[in-house]
Amino acid sequence: MQMEKRAIPDDLFYDSNDFWIKVAKEAVIGLTDYGQSNIGDIIYLEFVPAGTVVRQGGRCGSIESGKWVGSLLAPVSGVIVETNREAEADPHQVNADPFGRGWLYRMETANRNEIALLMDSGAYKTWIEERIRLKEKDDVTL
Amino acid sequence: MRQVWRLLDTGELPAANNMTLEQVILTARRRDLIPNTLHFLQFSPHCALVGYHQAVELEVETEYCRAHGIDINRRISGGGSIYMDEGQLGWEIFALKDTPGIPKRREDLYRLMCESVVAGLAKLGIDARYRPLNDIEVGGRKISGTGGTEMGNSLLYHGTLLTDFDVDTMIACLKLPLKKLEDKQIRSFKERVICLREALGHVPPMPDIKKAMAEAFAEVLRVELEPGGLTEYEGTLMVEELPKFQSEKWIRGTRASQESNLTIADYKTPGGLIRISLRIDHPRRLIKSAFITGDFFAYPKRSILDLEAALKNSSSRPADVLATVRRFFTGNDVKIPGVAADDFYHALCLAISDEGRNESNGREVHAIR
Repeated sequence: MQMEKRAIPDDLFYDSNDFWIKVAKEAVIGLTDYGQSNIGDIIYLEFVPAGTVVRQGGRCGSIESGKWVGSLLAPVSGVIVETNREAEADPHQVNADPFGRGWLYRMETANRNEIALLMDSGAYKTWIEERIRLKEKDDVTL
Repeated sequence: MRQVWRLLDTGELPAANNMTLEQVILTARRRDLIPNTLHFLQFSPHCALVGYHQAVELEVETEYCRAHGIDINRRISGGGSIYMDEGQLGWEIFALKDTPGIPKRREDLYRLMCESVVAGLAKLGIDARYRPLNDIEVGGRKISGTGGTEMGNSLLYHGTLLTDFDVDTMIACLKLPLKKLEDKQIRSFKERVICLREALGHVPPMPDIKKAMAEAFAEVLRVELEPGGLTEYEGTLMVEELPKFQSEKWIRGTRASQESNLTIADYKTPGGLIRISLRIDHPRRLIKSAFITGDFFAYPKRSILDLEAALKNSSSRPADVLATVRRFFTGNDVKIPGVAADDFYHALCLAISDEGRNESNGREVHAIR
């Protein structure tokens, strides 16, 4: 299976759960293009309230597609300062524009050192390719 | 050597207890305190269950449930509202995501789990098949629906098996895409589901059904099942967590803004009238469920049921509707004299549009904001 062409902007950091993080005064977090394509048509999104303190890898919301409920996991620790209410009301925006209108939430990060341990675009691309290879192995096994 | 999984059968329990158990077992699996598990569950009293993100008041006839002693609760998994009476069998798999043989791709996981149920039904003498994305059907009629969720490194995938089903109560207690007073529509709706009693002419004893299902899961997943009970950890956590799943906050707590509107539209074609009934969430541009009837003739008959399945939880944007309809007719050998694929597209657009809503015979609008 070939990796479909998926956008991986160079100016973002990535975690292994397919979330991107844009580092500025406040960090903006979203689901990657590869992540949204894996999940499929998103039907529901829900976030924890603004003001919630989350740890790296902690749950800060839920996402549903294909009768499957998954967790939105924070790529870094911090305080949620704003959630994307428009995407919550129309989750299709995450599928259609994952790096733009489909952003998920903004957070005040607690530990900048965590960001340094995330992947850059090159490392994330390699990570995706490795997972595709594992899925191909599934295809052979099944 | 085959992996050994636990076979857990907790019998009939109230909905809140069963919902708690799902959270408890998933937590125990994530903490690696239990092996992978196949769990059989049953419900008493009967109950209506909504999906994790759904709003109870949009999906369930709460007054009817109250008057008839039907529990209401919320699952931790996705999907739509369901009705479970004492005769239904619930099955669920709890497993680590990296278990050998458990597919990493979601759609492969759905297929594997559903194929296990198909194999179990075959042992009972029923020719069933997997219908993407998450259903199992017999001759186009649904006999089992499925859904799932995850927690860290662990997953829960579960479903129902209709054994002997009271369709009238289901229609009365859930908000479905049909007007309650139209007998013809209700008769047609009943043809969408099938239970073991109807498929076999009798209901096998529940122990026989469970045995067939357990053997099938073991064969398809290539594991050994060893009967076992709840662990002490699970029992303790069950006591701690039960109040949450009994609480109004869990069952009726605030959900994301959503709507569930019943819209009905009639569309005339040379081959006959198409009647489209939709449950639709307009702000999300989502067709939640579709019910298609009319006086046209479709070959095979099941094709309309398959089209309804393809439309479930699909986008209501006109371009997406057109793509869904055309993909369906391209991928299936369907013949409907005097009715073109695009006629269904036009009929759906009419139901989705304001015009369709205004023409509907029984428009209902309910919203959570």
